[in-house]
Amino acid sequence: MLVGERSMTRGSNLPDTTRYPPGDLAVWIFILAELAVFAIFFVAYAFTRMQHVVLFDQYQATLDRNAALLNTLALITASYFVVRAVAAIREGRVEGCRRWLWAATGMGLLFLLIKSTEYAHHLGEGVRLSSNTFYMFYLSLTFFHFMHVILGVIVLLVLAARVGRGCYDARDHADVESGASYWHMVDLVWLILFPLVYVMH
Amino acid sequence: MTADTQRWIRPCTLVYLVLVGLTLVTWVAGRLGLQGMGVTFFVLGLALLKGQLIGDGFMGLRHVRGFWRWAILTWLVGVGALVGVAFFLSSGLH
Repeated sequence: MLVGERSMTRGSNLPDTTRYPPGDLAVWIFILAELAVFAIFFVAYAFTRMQHVVLFDQYQATLDRNAALLNTLALITASYFVVRAVAAIREGRVEGCRRWLWAATGMGLLFLLIKSTEYAHHLGEGVRLSSNTFYMFYLSLTFFHFMHVILGVIVLLVLAARVGRGCYDARDHADVESGASYWHMVDLVWLILFPLVYVMH
Repeated sequence: MTADTQRWIRPCTLVYLVLVGLTLVTWVAGRLGLQGMGVTFFVLGLALLKGQLIGDGFMGLRHVRGFWRWAILTWLVGVGALVGVAFFLSSGLH
C-alpha cells in the first residue's frame, strides 16, 4: 500500500480518502473470497431451515447463548484492541502497538477457550455432525469459523512478535493493517453467525 | 494538542461501545425467547448494522472510495436479504 500517498487527517493519523483499503490488496481479495464462502454457508443454513423449522428451533434452544454472548464480546473487544494497535503503529508508538496486539491475542484465545468448552459439552452429550441437520450446520459452521479464529490468533501472535523486534514503524506497517483487516473479517462473520444460529427462530 | 486528545472519546471507542450495546440487545432478545417476524428482522437488522460498523469504523472503509468502500456493505445486504427471505418464507410454512 502506498501509505505515504495518503493525505492524513490531523491528529487521527487516518487517511481522508483513498482508493484502496488499509493493508495488502491481496489480503482483501482473500477476505472477499472468505466472505463469499461464509455467505453460502449462511444462506444454505437459512434455506435448509425452511424445511426443518421445528427441528431447528428445538435444537437451537440447546445452545448456550451465554457462552455465545461472551464469545461475541471477546471478538468485538479483540477487534477494538486491534484497531488501537493499528492506530498506535500509525502514530509511531511501537510499544503501544505491541501491547494492544497481545491484548487482542488474549481475547482471541479466550474465544477459543469458551468455544472449546462448548464443543466439549456438546460432544459429551453425544452430539455429532450426523445427529441431525441443525447440529450438522451448527458444528460445521461454527468449527469453520473456529479455524479462522485460530489462524487469526496466529497472525496476531506473529505480528506482535515482529512489532516487538522493531520490524514496523509509523511509515512501514502494511502487514499490521493486513492482519488487522483479516481479524476484523473474522469478527464480522461471527456478528452474523451469532444471531443467525443462536438467536433467530 | 491534537484533535484526538481534545476529543472526550475516540471514535473507535464509541463504535466499540455501540457494538457491545447492540450485542447485549441481541442477547436479551434471545434470552427472553422473543418470537415473531418482527423480532427476527429486528435481530437481523442489528446484525447488519453491527457488520457495517465493523466495516466502516474498524476496517477503515469509511476512508475508502470506489469498489472497496461498498464491498462489505454489499455483502451484508446480500446475505441479509437472502436470510431474511428464507426466514420470511419459513414463517409461512410453519
